[in-house]
Amino acid sequence: MPKCKKSEGHAIDYAYRGLSPAEEEPFKAHLRNCQDCTEAVESYTAALELTDKAQEELVVPEHALQNIEMNVYKRLAAAQEQTWFSRLRTYFTSVGSPFGGYKTAAVSSIAIALIVAAVFLGKPPQPEPTLQLTKEHSAEARIAEYHEQGIQWNLEEALITHHLRNDAWETESQLNRMKEQAQGTSWTQVADKHLQYLQSVTLNRTQ
Amino acid sequence: MDKLIDDEMLVAQFQAGRQNAFDELMKRYKSKIFSYLLRSVRNYEDAEDITIEVFFKAYRALENWQPKAKFSTWLYKIASNLAIDYHRAKARNPVYALEDTEISEEHLVATDLYSDPEKQLEEKERGIIIREAVDQLSPKQKAVFMLSRYEGLQLKEVAEALDMAEGTVKIHLHRAVKRLQTLLRPLWENNDI
Repeated sequence: MPKCKKSEGHAIDYAYRGLSPAEEEPFKAHLRNCQDCTEAVESYTAALELTDKAQEELVVPEHALQNIEMNVYKRLAAAQEQTWFSRLRTYFTSVGSPFGGYKTAAVSSIAIALIVAAVFLGKPPQPEPTLQLTKEHSAEARIAEYHEQGIQWNLEEALITHHLRNDAWETESQLNRMKEQAQGTSWTQVADKHLQYLQSVTLNRTQ
Repeated sequence: MDKLIDDEMLVAQFQAGRQNAFDELMKRYKSKIFSYLLRSVRNYEDAEDITIEVFFKAYRALENWQPKAKFSTWLYKIASNLAIDYHRAKARNPVYALEDTEISEEHLVATDLYSDPEKQLEEKERGIIIREAVDQLSPKQKAVFMLSRYEGLQLKEVAEALDMAEGTVKIHLHRAVKRLQTLLRPLWENNDI
């Protein structure tokens, strides 16, 4: 830690490359005469370099990103089910209890009080705005679209493994995974064709 | 879709009812947001869940979004808030946090099968020490440090993303760097680097 307290912030900024050109030149000149600050800059720089290296090791694999869009739409679809109407339905079902009449009276009084307050005091509070998916772009349509993209992506991966890496075993397992993912679609037939072709190629090689 | 179309224009298209514009925004930012969250939470599954939550929240709020700040800054704001909530929840449940860190370290350390196993182990241990040092920063210090250092946000943008004054961001950043220097000093003092 530098004893030259006045420049400690500058030492951090300099190591972080956060000094403006107008500040950098005078500080560089200061460093030539200040051992404390030079040591401080060196140790801050070392700490930052170590941290950068550890962060560089962190790689986001492509497969982790593959299902993000589909899962966002799944999340939206799940949330859409919980609409205002379903909330109201749940509420009115709960009102059917022995104290339902009192509850309804209490809630109605509060609602009337809020409306009156809004009229006299200003705009009533608005519910949080939420955008609804249109029919042509329903969450289900999007999920299906991304599901198909995922199948195609896995097929491409299997073909890359086969043609570029020439790894029959891995190709077969990737095709089987793709087939499993494609259950209920015509892509299973595509997977079967590729699996048959792969088996025939492997057989020819062994003969 | 044209890559030259800027984010704010895509938002306007989305607000006009073009759903594909949101898909393009997700395509542009999913990797950045995922990697930011992965650096922050250090667990693939949690990073993925929070990334989904970020875009879910963005979708629902985008209708009324006003371009006061950049779209990307706004997205980082949602991500940072969720990451801070995550860290707070984790701090309340330390048993879960310990298990989680053990799992994530297995995934996070880059492995080179052809390198010297002893050296590989040393690298792995050093990586763990460094990432644990980063974890010891407060959630706000960590968010400031990550956004400015690894996501390339200017201090002004970090301030917008975290709802702080620019001066406060700088204070958090200084404290973060000082803390890292204190925690990591033994690594270079013992000639480990």
